[in-house]
Amino acid sequence: MAALRLWRCGCRALLSRPAAAPRARRGLAAGPEMHFGFQTVTEEERREKIYQVFENVAKKYDVMNDSMTLGIHRVWKDILVHKMNPCPGTLLLDVAGGTGDIAFRFINYVRSVRQRQLQRKLKHHQNLSWQEIFESYQNDKFNNSLGDSQVVVCDINREMLKVGKQKAQHLGYSEGLSWVLGNAEELPFDDDKFDVYTIAFGIRNVTRIDLALQEAYRVLKPGGRFLCLEFSHVSNPLLSRLYDLYSFQVIPVLGEVIAGDWRSYQYLVESIRQFPPQEELKAMIEDAGFFKVDYENLNFGIVAIHSGFKL
Amino acid sequence: MAAAGGLRRAGWRLWWARRAVLRCQQYPPLRALQASAALRAASDEHKKEPWASSSQQHFESPPAGHQPEEKPQGPHHSYTGQGGQESEDYESEEQLQHRILTAALEFVPEHGWTAEAIAEGAKTLGLSVAAAGLFHSDGSELILHFVSECNTKLSELLKKEQKLVQLGEAEKKPIDEFLRDAVEARLRMLIPYIEKWPQALSVLLLPRNIPSSLNLLTSMIDDIWHYAGDQSTDFNWYTRRAVLTAIYNTTELVMMQDSSPGLEDTWRFLENRVADAMTMSNTATQVQSTGEAVVQGLMGAAVTIKNLAGLNQRR
Repeated sequence: MAALRLWRCGCRALLSRPAAAPRARRGLAAGPEMHFGFQTVTEEERREKIYQVFENVAKKYDVMNDSMTLGIHRVWKDILVHKMNPCPGTLLLDVAGGTGDIAFRFINYVRSVRQRQLQRKLKHHQNLSWQEIFESYQNDKFNNSLGDSQVVVCDINREMLKVGKQKAQHLGYSEGLSWVLGNAEELPFDDDKFDVYTIAFGIRNVTRIDLALQEAYRVLKPGGRFLCLEFSHVSNPLLSRLYDLYSFQVIPVLGEVIAGDWRSYQYLVESIRQFPPQEELKAMIEDAGFFKVDYENLNFGIVAIHSGFKL
Repeated sequence: MAAAGGLRRAGWRLWWARRAVLRCQQYPPLRALQASAALRAASDEHKKEPWASSSQQHFESPPAGHQPEEKPQGPHHSYTGQGGQESEDYESEEQLQHRILTAALEFVPEHGWTAEAIAEGAKTLGLSVAAAGLFHSDGSELILHFVSECNTKLSELLKKEQKLVQLGEAEKKPIDEFLRDAVEARLRMLIPYIEKWPQALSVLLLPRNIPSSLNLLTSMIDDIWHYAGDQSTDFNWYTRRAVLTAIYNTTELVMMQDSSPGLEDTWRFLENRVADAMTMSNTATQVQSTGEAVVQGLMGAAVTIKNLAGLNQRR
């Protein structure tokens, strides 16, 4: 354990060296200080750097997610959609959802709910006349399999969106799916538009989280729900040690081996440590105006799902 | 930092109040309540006269067309001073949830006790379907809301009857008739939902929901006995409640199976069970008094024998 701490200190010292140069320059550049991993940078620099990170990792994003979390991230995303429990007709805005993981799950979920509803309806009136059967088929043609549900995927990064679109084509999703390039801090949508706003593993990379939350509040309909899936803080000290060991020793190596990019994954791990813990994020969501805010820890708090309502 | 957060929250609340006032025009009676509550929350000196008096008037004279479900919630508005800000917000949130659930009841016959019914209810209130996520997805809150609503209706009904009796406008019913009518009135409230009621019962019996559902059941039974004039404080208190609970629950089960026109079989079953209970209590009293007589007789015999045997002589 002591060795680990030493290593981490060394790592931090190493990282702070390149950060020293911008700090000297910041006398000229205006803008408040932000975190980029453990480095301190200006807002603009942070935006650029994060854009680069995701530009670099976009192609290998899904493979890396699977190998880093041993595939558990799929379960987390499933849990998120289950918690959402969308019914047909729901309009979903998935921010920072570049590769469409949440969007595809949402479509599958709504489709199955819709099917169950139709089956129940058929069971309800079993003895149909031919006329009625004919009518029901016609209605089916008009009602698509999603019952007018729509999902809009919004991401700031062109590369990530490109990967997502390719994936959608490959997997055969077309209906009720649209892709929009946009910043979570100033969403290109009208007020009171969506039923659900999700942001999965994205809010950490937003430079001004408070602005993003305000925008989320703005675009949601009254009664709409905000859901955020994000890495959080492990409270158990023993597990937290193990988790740190894994994240700082294994993940950057995996990044180097699989994606050929140590720095991006170093950033990823560091940004998780910089992100506000569960209670703090909850307070931020409440400050944005959301009601009934609560969170659920998954895997001892490695990730947490925050939920809030606009009432 | 905390102060800033507090300020922001207070400002937001003011805005909310304003929004509530705007909505007033759409739903006059209902929103008036909320608006006054929210405005009071926004002003720190909520105990000052003008607000209190104006809102008081609202409570005392609910305008015509006011939803009956809102009535029992009226008293919640008049909170008691301390910690008002937080609890007021909480209340309005709670009220909204109540309104959603009440609106959802209309869709239960079609969708069952599900999140879908709640979503439909939310839609009628102009809210997003996602508001169904406010509640647990098994629909337990919807069912419990319905049960407590029915209980309130029943106790209001019984209260009204009691008032009539006290004023001398109606005759006091004998106890068996009173019990039968009360249980029947309560069960009749389930008729619109009878097809989906088995589903509700199964949800109420889940271990997670048992405490609250049991609580509602016992309070309902208590209410009935209260208006029936039961004032026992001995062991009878328990037996009476147990007997009435048994009657209510078995009749409920019979009702779900009943296919006779007008649920005749159910009401006959209910009448028979109440009569059984009455005979049982009569028998119990008879047994008790017989027992006492027998004991007295035996004691007397013992004394006589003692006297005959000369054991009781004083020398």
